[in-house]
Amino acid sequence: MSAPTTTAPPVVAGPVTAGRTAIRSRWAPYLTTFRYLALFGLMLFFLMPVYALVITAFKHPAEVSVSRMWELPASLSFASFAAVWPKLQDGFLNSMMLAIPAALISSMLGAMNGFVLSKWRFPGADAVFPLILFGMFIPYQAILIPMTQTMTSAGLRGGLDGLILVHIIYGLPITTLIFRSYFVGISDEIIEAAQVDGAGMLRTFAFVALPIALPAFAVAMIWQFTSAWNDFLFGAVLTNRNYWPITITLNNIAGGQSVPFNEAMASALLACIPTVLVYILLGRFFMRGLMAGALKG
Amino acid sequence: MRRIRKWGPGLLLVSPSLIALGVFVYGFIGWNVRVSFTSWRGLAPKYDNVGFANYRALAHDPRFALDVKHILVFTGVFVGGSLVVGFLLALLLERGVKGENLFRTVFLLPMAISFIATAIIWRWLLDNSGNHDTGLNRLLDLIGLDFARSDWHKTASVWAIAAIALPAGWALSGYIMALFLAGLRSVPDDLREAARVDGANEPRVFWHVVRPMLWPVVMSAVVILAHISLKTFDLLYAIDGKNINVDVPALYMWFTTFDGGFYARGATIATLLLLGVGLVIVPYIWYTVRSERHR
Amino acid sequence: MTQLVSAPAAGIRLEGVWKRFKGGVEAVRDINLEVEPGEFMVLVGPSGCGKSTVLRMIAGLEETSEGRVLIGDRDVTSALPQQRDVAMVFQSYALYPRMTVRQNLGFGLRMRRVSAADRTRRVNEVASVLGLDHLLDRRPGALSGGQRQRVAMGRAIVREPRVFLMDEPLSNLDAKLRVSMRSQLTLLHKRLGVTTVYVTHDQIEAMTLGQRVAVLRDGALQQCDTPQTLFHRPANLFVAAFLGSPSMNFVQGHLAGGAVRFADVTVPVDGGSSLADRSVILGVRPTGLTLANGNGWPTMSIVPTLVEDLGDERYVIFELDTPRVDTEATRAAVDARAADDALLTPDERAHFTARLPADAPVTVGEPLDLAVNPSRLYFFDPETGDTIS
Repeated sequence: MSAPTTTAPPVVAGPVTAGRTAIRSRWAPYLTTFRYLALFGLMLFFLMPVYALVITAFKHPAEVSVSRMWELPASLSFASFAAVWPKLQDGFLNSMMLAIPAALISSMLGAMNGFVLSKWRFPGADAVFPLILFGMFIPYQAILIPMTQTMTSAGLRGGLDGLILVHIIYGLPITTLIFRSYFVGISDEIIEAAQVDGAGMLRTFAFVALPIALPAFAVAMIWQFTSAWNDFLFGAVLTNRNYWPITITLNNIAGGQSVPFNEAMASALLACIPTVLVYILLGRFFMRGLMAGALKG
Repeated sequence: MRRIRKWGPGLLLVSPSLIALGVFVYGFIGWNVRVSFTSWRGLAPKYDNVGFANYRALAHDPRFALDVKHILVFTGVFVGGSLVVGFLLALLLERGVKGENLFRTVFLLPMAISFIATAIIWRWLLDNSGNHDTGLNRLLDLIGLDFARSDWHKTASVWAIAAIALPAGWALSGYIMALFLAGLRSVPDDLREAARVDGANEPRVFWHVVRPMLWPVVMSAVVILAHISLKTFDLLYAIDGKNINVDVPALYMWFTTFDGGFYARGATIATLLLLGVGLVIVPYIWYTVRSERHR
Repeated sequence: MTQLVSAPAAGIRLEGVWKRFKGGVEAVRDINLEVEPGEFMVLVGPSGCGKSTVLRMIAGLEETSEGRVLIGDRDVTSALPQQRDVAMVFQSYALYPRMTVRQNLGFGLRMRRVSAADRTRRVNEVASVLGLDHLLDRRPGALSGGQRQRVAMGRAIVREPRVFLMDEPLSNLDAKLRVSMRSQLTLLHKRLGVTTVYVTHDQIEAMTLGQRVAVLRDGALQQCDTPQTLFHRPANLFVAAFLGSPSMNFVQGHLAGGAVRFADVTVPVDGGSSLADRSVILGVRPTGLTLANGNGWPTMSIVPTLVEDLGDERYVIFELDTPRVDTEATRAAVDARAADDALLTPDERAHFTARLPADAPVTVGEPLDLAVNPSRLYFFDPETGDTIS
């Protein structure tokens, strides 16, 4: 016996979300298409500057002009890179010597701070934490003058030492935050078990807490590396010509009015490679750093 | 509680950081405020006391007034724009699309590069000085949107700085997208399903169920964007630092202190900047820390 | 048989121990408890009664607000956990996630600077006793719940401490595993002879595992005795209501002239003539009621409202025409048992349960005569809840 046909609108099974197949209305396919189009369009917009950057950098100097800005290069040329690299080289090296130690030390200290503030609290620890956090948000103009004075008197101005020190110290709030958020999510009982097993604070930290916190370490390292590599203000104020980090060098090369655009783009591209590489390969940890910075743990 | 042997080691371990931050953050802030009460001008520090003279002077300073106007415009456009774009992106990605990772990577990419690089790239797109067209205008011509052409930040109006909100928004929208995405996805499915079963259609599900839960995210986003906006220096310095039309307090402070040697005035501007940032950040930190305690 | 423990067992003494938290909450009130060397002592009570807090104070994870804690004969009140030579099994097991089972087991020994050779030997011994040999190189994440539980136990055993502390170690296991682990625990204790303090909220676990059981409620010790004594001679209403399954039946009654009267029943009380007239709460266990058998016990005529057939016995539930006993103590006991004795019916009458043999001729709705065993009655003061002897 066949059932009478109904006049209900056709039902389309929607995409699987979180393991469930939802019954969707008939508008769903159109909406999905619209969504893809919108996303694609926005993606193009976001990539537009990147596109300009890349094609200009690879163009032969003679090809570069505004009127033909958006055209693909006639042939791939590394002339621009060859031209700017010698000028960027020192800055690149300096930034490496700045960012890696700063990231390492800042992360290590942040791990210790985060651990103590969450799992081995002292009286007043919960009040101290917001005070530390505030340091992450202050406009650096508010400490610039005193900092330059202090660094000059300490003889730390001009070279990389002062710059590294400053990055470590001002990086402490965010690394502390990252680790503290991470440790808060770990159950107290593991720490208590270590104590009952005979470990004091340092051994609990070294043998139990730190191994658990390796993901947080990755987040902190990546975030600090990026932050130090991309900084301009501190570098401008604290270093001499020989020790300029890459951002200063970049600005000098590409900041003038009469600079050929291909060189400007090529140098910008080279300057961005390390952080972009880190971002692409370790994007997951990058994201977590972002979330931590919004105090969303 | 009071057993020093128990918590002593912990305090000892963090004390270097605490001391360092105490000096480099709070000590220096205090020092800076002290400088703002002096008449220090030139390379040699001078610690006299002129009271609020510098602040009064700034209040009558036409350049500073202009800066304040600019920073307000910039903040408004930047925050508003990033919020809208970020939210839109999150909304589009929320249900899960094929290639979500690719999209997310693209939208967040600008966050990985320095503001200097961003400035250099966008300068070419926006800068029309030197008798050539801007890259962006050219593109708009090419795709037929030539009505949208503009002088961008080279215009003479107070909206010049709004053009800089474009690179700034480009850099930060991805971040806001990530925030909203996390917020949207943290709304439990059950809640939405219950609403649907109760008869609400999708727009209403969004309005009544999802939207109220997004409020904290919006707040976070606004606070973070606002404080970044006030702090923005690199981007403006590198795009067109000497252009008075895009002058902001942060730039003023830099030039007046390190080019002009007016340390006291620079310190005063810096203090005001700090107050501005503090106004949004302090309640935010307090609120976040308090709600964590109540969890 | 390997000799796993060489240290002599130590007793534990808590003297006048209090614990006050910020905000004035008194989690533990004036506890005086003595655990004999080698004894298996169970702390039992509803959630929030302070039993875990007491355990943590013995471990040193919580500071006492007042009072002393002694392990062996040493006052450890102000000693850190590292210094107390106790081992603890946590409810969540608290295994170190980034270490292998072998490293987890050996961690405590490493902290006490035991030589690598000794460490290996002891870890291997304990692993074989607990059946963990083939798991030694795995991480906790790759183990089942039951395996993790055994590693947690192993970690405690390998330390050869003077005291074992266990915080609801079986509550995360499924029912069947729980029952088998219970007997394992008893065997282990017989073999090792280490003083053990065991915390649970499950009164059945308490009764089967403990050599002595301490019942706590709202931070105060209600009674500390062997399971048999607790069951047959409860000190107050709460203890009587808390232990035993199904729980004791209670009803308001009046003691006068050597007999107690409740509902329409009068039961003579041995030696009752020496007691003054007073109202009481009467308690009788479901096993104190039997079918009327003509041996002189007072009888009552009841109408069963519900019969639960359990195969080799029956629970017969009936009502008495008298108000239900609903004191703080009985309510606390009911909540604690999580046995869901809570009634959905708004009835105000007393409900009784009788435990009868499976072949008892019982039908719902048909009147039945039950006999009350006069020597199995308990009397409680309606005000204080204490037992009246």
